[in-house]
Amino acid sequence: MAIEKEVILQLKNIEQSYVVDNSVKQAVKDVSFNVYKNEFLVILGPGHCGKSVLLNIISGLESAQKGQVYLGAEPLAGVDRRISLVFQRLALLPWMTVIDNVAFGLRMAGIAKAERRKIAQKYINLVGLQGFEKSYPSQLSGGMKQRVGIARAYAVNPEILLMDEPFGQLDAQTRYAMQEEILRIWQQEKKTVIFVTNNIEEAVYLGDRIILLSSCPAHVKAEYEIQMEKPRNTVDPEFLRIRKEISDNTDLAL
Amino acid sequence: MNVQKQNHSSEQQEQILKDQKKQRKASYQNLMLSVSSILLFFFIWEMVALLKLVPEHYLAPPEAIFRLLIIKIHDPNPDGAVLTVNILSSLQISFTGFIAAILIGVPLGWLMGWYRVVDSVVNPIFDIVRPIPPVAWIPLTIVWMGVGLKAKATIVFLSAFIPCVINSYTGIRQTNPVLIHVGKTCGASDFTIFWKIGIPSAMTMTFTGIKLAIGNAWSTLVAAEMLAASSGLGYMILQGRNFGRTDIVMLGVLAIGIIGTIIITLFSHLENVVLRWKRK
Amino acid sequence: MKIMTVKKRERHKNTFYQILSVASVLGLIGLWIYISSTSRFPTPGDIWERMIKMFQYPIKGKNIFGHLLASLQRVMIALSFCWTFGLAFGILLGWNQKCRAFLEPLFSAFRAVPPLAWIPLITLWFGIGEFPKILIVIMGGLPPIVVNTQAGIANVQQLYLDVGTIFHANRRQMLFQIALPSALDAVLAGIKNSMSSAWVVVLAAEMLGGKSGVGFLISRGMDSMDMPLILLAMIAIGSVSALFAIALNTIERIACPWLLKKK
Repeated sequence: MAIEKEVILQLKNIEQSYVVDNSVKQAVKDVSFNVYKNEFLVILGPGHCGKSVLLNIISGLESAQKGQVYLGAEPLAGVDRRISLVFQRLALLPWMTVIDNVAFGLRMAGIAKAERRKIAQKYINLVGLQGFEKSYPSQLSGGMKQRVGIARAYAVNPEILLMDEPFGQLDAQTRYAMQEEILRIWQQEKKTVIFVTNNIEEAVYLGDRIILLSSCPAHVKAEYEIQMEKPRNTVDPEFLRIRKEISDNTDLAL
Repeated sequence: MNVQKQNHSSEQQEQILKDQKKQRKASYQNLMLSVSSILLFFFIWEMVALLKLVPEHYLAPPEAIFRLLIIKIHDPNPDGAVLTVNILSSLQISFTGFIAAILIGVPLGWLMGWYRVVDSVVNPIFDIVRPIPPVAWIPLTIVWMGVGLKAKATIVFLSAFIPCVINSYTGIRQTNPVLIHVGKTCGASDFTIFWKIGIPSAMTMTFTGIKLAIGNAWSTLVAAEMLAASSGLGYMILQGRNFGRTDIVMLGVLAIGIIGTIIITLFSHLENVVLRWKRK
Repeated sequence: MKIMTVKKRERHKNTFYQILSVASVLGLIGLWIYISSTSRFPTPGDIWERMIKMFQYPIKGKNIFGHLLASLQRVMIALSFCWTFGLAFGILLGWNQKCRAFLEPLFSAFRAVPPLAWIPLITLWFGIGEFPKILIVIMGGLPPIVVNTQAGIANVQQLYLDVGTIFHANRRQMLFQIALPSALDAVLAGIKNSMSSAWVVVLAAEMLGGKSGVGFLISRGMDSMDMPLILLAMIAIGSVSALFAIALNTIERIACPWLLKKK
């Protein structure tokens, strides 16, 4: 089975630095890995270093100073319609209703109104927000807002979905619920997902594969393949073993 | 960690330097655009005046205004006072009204925002008075106080008073409730919380109000001086207009604009000093 | 039971404050009546009579509503220009770096001069007809809307722009779907400011030279020591600008439902 895996995205020797207070600070250092079709890949890393930068590079918001991202066989240049992003902060447009937010990408793509309403409605139903189509984001709870963000990213039908710590700002209870939710959605609408988090339990709960990044500057420290059936039991001995193994290998966040 | 930080390939540093260079170039271009727009403006002004595209008594060339500025420093014609006297007279009136507006308006706004009793008594009256433009009060103040400093300062006061009240009111209403609870748990009295927590958190908004107030004060002053005065910059431009002296009017307009800008800049600096803790 | 009493006490408290508000307005009116009975200051009745008298003997052919309409017309013509041109100009300054670099110094210099100070120069150039008055009102109403639009557009959160980038918004969509809506509350504040500024300027322009308008009535009242007329004009302009402010707030609520408080 492992042999049949089709590489959909490839990162080769990515490096990125920033100038902070007149000194050069490296955020990402020589990162290379493959992403396979329809897998749930988790990028796990401590603190605030490198993970989001990596995702920004894949999404095309930033371009890497060194190295190259390949989508299929061709190098990636800027934002690409085949890749969509669920933002870390709740980047819903506050002046649009839920359905308009979900349909935003479709509207930008020039799809006719009736058609995009239909598609948006499908994804609103998928994330379980029926009845809130006409609400504004400010009227929703944190978990509901992030559902809108997920529906918006799904609605443009990308091949790869990037999720940048989407549950980082939710309370623990909602976070567990949303983790189950995202698994359900992923199983219903198979896509390649690259999910960034700093929460080890979340990573082990969701990931088919986990790429563990080091602390600043970020580079690939280890890679784990998790074969457990989903949904996983968080107190299963195997779950706890993997969790401990990753935990022991993780740098302390500064 | 530190070792890795130093471990930079020369390519990367080159890349970063290139980026910085690009940024510097862009900001340099913008500066050049700004300078050229101002130069272009003066050039067109000079050309229009020089080529007499507009009759001379409609538009004085820039250098004539500059010459007039030097003459006007010691020559009281045609409005009866030299430039410095006019400026001082205007400054005196606007500052009297403006400072009175701060001294009364800011504490009133704070009290209205904090104590509901004050709010329910003052707010309705405030709502009635607010829509009447300050300029409309000019005749009443003249009837009550004559054409002296007091009447004009009152007009200025009215125009500066309103933004002072509104902004300090809004500022103190936006005090973070968590901070108020902190005060309460520490056993502070309501007045102490008002004084130590409410007012400091309202400071930013209050300063916004004061800055708006000084703009209003300076602008209303001109109207007050044009309608009832015997000196001041507003009076000077009005007399210039009555004598058909475009150069006097233009000098007055320039002086008003420049002094207004200086005052507002000074206040922005003062704000930075007072609100030091706001900066990172 | 306990909750009921708390609620009741809360209600009593609210009633108390409302009564206080009514009492303060009544007090103001009482003060007015007291002052007018002991001095030559006109009573509310005098002002009412002055208004009635104006219907019988119009000033320059117009009663109070005619003059109000004249001022209103100037304000509306000027504002419709300010709101279209000012919005466009503000967008240009906020959206295009080069345009801002080129035009902002000149605009700041123009803005530094209070609109009322332009009146003598404008009347010197264009006389005292209808056009110069509208021009002055435009000069007063333009800066608030330009400044607010510019600031609103230039300070769009990077996050919203990133959303646009990710979903392939083109430059036009970026401006009209993202930057402009996110600047809308700043723009609306600018519209409100431009309106109150326009009223001040139209009044001053009419007071300094004109044959119609509320400002003209005020200066006429000042020249003939006609106190009831002055107060009538003040009340007229106060009520109209209050009505306008209410109307704009209503429009804001309808146009920007997302700015409403969380439910």
